[in-house]
Amino acid sequence: MNYTSNLKSTGQVELPKWRARVLLSLLLMVLFLLLARAVFLQGIHNDFLQQEGVARYGRVIDISAHRGKITYRDGEPLAISTEVNSVWASPSDVEASSRQISQLAQLTGTNAAEIKTRLNDTSRDFVYLKRQLPPDEAGRIMRLGIPGVALRTEYRRYYPSAEVSSHLIGFTDVDDNGREGIEYGWQAHLGGKNGSQRVIKDRRGHIIEDVASVRVPKPGKDLTLSLDSKIQFMAYREIKAAVTQHHAKSGSIVVLDANSGEVLALANWPSYNPNIREKPNVAVLRNLAVTDQFEPGSTMKPFTVASALEAGKIRQNSVFDTSSGVFIIGGRKIHDTHPEKTHSVAQVIQRSSNIGAAKIALLMPAKTFWQSLSDNGFGQPTGSAFPGEAPGKLRDYKSWRPVEQATMSYGHGISVNLLQLARAYTVFASDGELKPLTLLKQDVPVLGATVYSAATAHAVRDMLELAVKPGGTAPLAQVVGYRVAGKTGTSHKLENGRYVDKYVSSFVGLAPVSDPRLIVAVMLNEPGGKEYYGGQVAAPVFSSVMGAALRQLNVPHDAPLNNVLQPPAEIIREET
Amino acid sequence: MPGLNLFSLKGANAASAEYDSVLTWIVIALLSLGLVMVYSSSIATAEASRATGYQQSYYLMRHSLYVFLGLLAGVMVFQIPSKIWQSSAPFLFIFGVVLLILVFVPGIGREVNGGRRWLSLFVFNLQPSELMKLFVVLYAADYTVRKGIVKRSFSKAFLPMFLVMMIVGVLLLLEPDMGAFVVICAIAMSTLWLGGYRLKVFAALLLALPAAFAALIIFSPYRVKRVTSFMDPWADPYGTGYQLSHALIAFGRGEFFGVGLGASVEKLFYLPEAHTDFLLAVIAEELGFIGVTAVIMLFAWLIIRAFAIGRQAAMLDRLFAALVAQGIAAWLGIQAMINIGVNMGVLPTKGLTLPLMSYGGSGILVNCVAIAMLLRIDWENRRVMRGLPI
Repeated sequence: MNYTSNLKSTGQVELPKWRARVLLSLLLMVLFLLLARAVFLQGIHNDFLQQEGVARYGRVIDISAHRGKITYRDGEPLAISTEVNSVWASPSDVEASSRQISQLAQLTGTNAAEIKTRLNDTSRDFVYLKRQLPPDEAGRIMRLGIPGVALRTEYRRYYPSAEVSSHLIGFTDVDDNGREGIEYGWQAHLGGKNGSQRVIKDRRGHIIEDVASVRVPKPGKDLTLSLDSKIQFMAYREIKAAVTQHHAKSGSIVVLDANSGEVLALANWPSYNPNIREKPNVAVLRNLAVTDQFEPGSTMKPFTVASALEAGKIRQNSVFDTSSGVFIIGGRKIHDTHPEKTHSVAQVIQRSSNIGAAKIALLMPAKTFWQSLSDNGFGQPTGSAFPGEAPGKLRDYKSWRPVEQATMSYGHGISVNLLQLARAYTVFASDGELKPLTLLKQDVPVLGATVYSAATAHAVRDMLELAVKPGGTAPLAQVVGYRVAGKTGTSHKLENGRYVDKYVSSFVGLAPVSDPRLIVAVMLNEPGGKEYYGGQVAAPVFSSVMGAALRQLNVPHDAPLNNVLQPPAEIIREET
Repeated sequence: MPGLNLFSLKGANAASAEYDSVLTWIVIALLSLGLVMVYSSSIATAEASRATGYQQSYYLMRHSLYVFLGLLAGVMVFQIPSKIWQSSAPFLFIFGVVLLILVFVPGIGREVNGGRRWLSLFVFNLQPSELMKLFVVLYAADYTVRKGIVKRSFSKAFLPMFLVMMIVGVLLLLEPDMGAFVVICAIAMSTLWLGGYRLKVFAALLLALPAAFAALIIFSPYRVKRVTSFMDPWADPYGTGYQLSHALIAFGRGEFFGVGLGASVEKLFYLPEAHTDFLLAVIAEELGFIGVTAVIMLFAWLIIRAFAIGRQAAMLDRLFAALVAQGIAAWLGIQAMINIGVNMGVLPTKGLTLPLMSYGGSGILVNCVAIAMLLRIDWENRRVMRGLPI
């Protein structure tokens, strides 16, 4: 070997070859050990490491289910769910500058301190920063690009008809659960089942991979109500106007389809806007037409007469001595506001004679009268299934004293809700059948339960027609082009067990008399003006709503268009 | 122009090969894989960062430029005979020390995340500690060759070298750059070892060094934190053990074949420094054990080749060249090992990149120059063996 090199040293320096081998071996050995470590990490310990990974970026997220919509019978929406975005954060992942925090506060409409408080709670994985924002506003927040802040799709309920039907529909809370009204009562039907999904998220909260769908969200079912959008609106408008005009505390109105028992309209005033998150006090939230009971007063008289006719205790042409306005029974005086010496059965209804009604009631055994009232649905829930419905009160006949049986004949000592009262009038609108009541649209004809014979029903219907004619208590209830029948009620309110000079004024009626299609029941609670008789304050509401509804439904006229006749003098007053 | 041969496609076994084509291919493989993985691991962070102007290819473009500049520098360095390196080694070393001092001069030195490791050179930031690694290789080799006669004397041979290294060490720890300090110590020790210094000294150092490290760790609390977190990252996985626990998760997710190129989750803001210090974790996650094995094998092969070149030079009595070749092997090998060890949780976090692969301008540039020196030494070996002038 002949090696030459200009770098060759003096020859005294020599590199021990074994040292290079040792160093190389050492380096290779360490690399081999590292390879072994990789085997451990990637082949043996990998399950644990992957679990730790999932714990860090795997998340199970809830997927909101769509809530079924509620519609009028014609498909017009009453309650619909639209997609909104809720902004949430995982506090331990959030990295935000104080400028971003103040921008966030501004966009969510809160203050920076509040946001900071929520984000400092690192013990929680999930905090809402703002619920239910429209997608464009939520998008603006996401464009701040704050890590750990993310969106969740939710649904927000909108009520297009707002105050018009709020008492019936109710509303949902922020978590999409029904809180009042139909939203509450039909929660199981309307509400869906939220799903969930396992995803992988990057550190800034963006979903980057759907790992598995744990549960598919199950949407809620739609609900079609029996409500008619146009009649509902007219009913609401008229009751609102009447309450305002007569300075009443409140007012309610119910419109029923006389044949099917479907509720076509149901409204109260005062009302509220369910779209506004902040709700008024509980009193305003109550659906008074269903959840409040009151003593109906004279609107009960047709049932007294019908029961006695049916029981054969009176005939249509029976005449009663009404003792010139005062009748004493059980130490109690019964008054007629419009005293007469005698009343025929028809006049008892027409002029609303308390004495006549009491005398008729006393002709029947208590059980017969009770049975008849009970068969008309009094003292029982209507079957509307509306949450919180007041069933009314019909006391057991065994405990009745004669004076009670007498006062019950004109609606004292018995309580009802307006829906119940309206439904009871289906017996006069049909051939004596009580129709089942429903808030949902019915597609097949319904069968009622027979309470009275057709003859009795027709006879009382004719008497009710007299009540709205000149000479009756409610000529203001007449409708152009249609024959109407109905009964007024003006009952004293009970306060602490005593009757006081505050009134519940009502009118319940049906039309057209020749082939009844609709029943309208109107009630005004404590009208505060000069006028307070049912014939003065409730009957006009009935007239406008009934007339408009009949025309809306294209019901053929059964009277000439000049049929409305007002009496020359003051109308006949009645109390109870 | 021998430099042009760098890009020649001649096979490794070609008889007429004038350079080590195997080494060339190993380096090209490491650089390419590094480039791809730097891109993959940095896309998400680059796209989301204001600092990068929200460009997803920000790091890719820069890294490509560094690799290009590195290759250019390599070609130039290849032209320089090794004797010139030897004669200029002491000056380069002093130049390196000056640069390390300049890091502390306000206006020139640049502070990032509490570390003063960079010199601001307008177009790009230079990291003198990276240059220093190469300069120490040259200086230690030259010193060993020069002091060869007195190598058995502790005070005349070992002590001066030790003191010079202490100065460099102190400068590096002031930055602080613990990783570079460890690497430079390792290079110096390796060269002294290869140069034949007395075994007793090494035995003594073997005892003294761990004690010195222990003292350092105790008197520098943030290093204590790093050390304890590395021992059990799961004790505080959201605090001190955060980075390491995520690196380990990346390994665990990768399994044998990996989750696929581009599919890493850890790089999505979970694993900090994914494109620099923790590039291997992303490789492990995306390419799996196969990818990790490939990287380790390539480095092992690189070291074996470098040692072989060194041995060849030694047999030709080219002692400086031999020590430089083996010093470079020790440097790249040890730095790679430490980086891999840190990624796998067997060593405390150091702040060391994976040579030839991780993102970083100074690192890539200096690594390419070192490889060029290796190739030059090999080329010179072949010339000498044929009796040709260098």
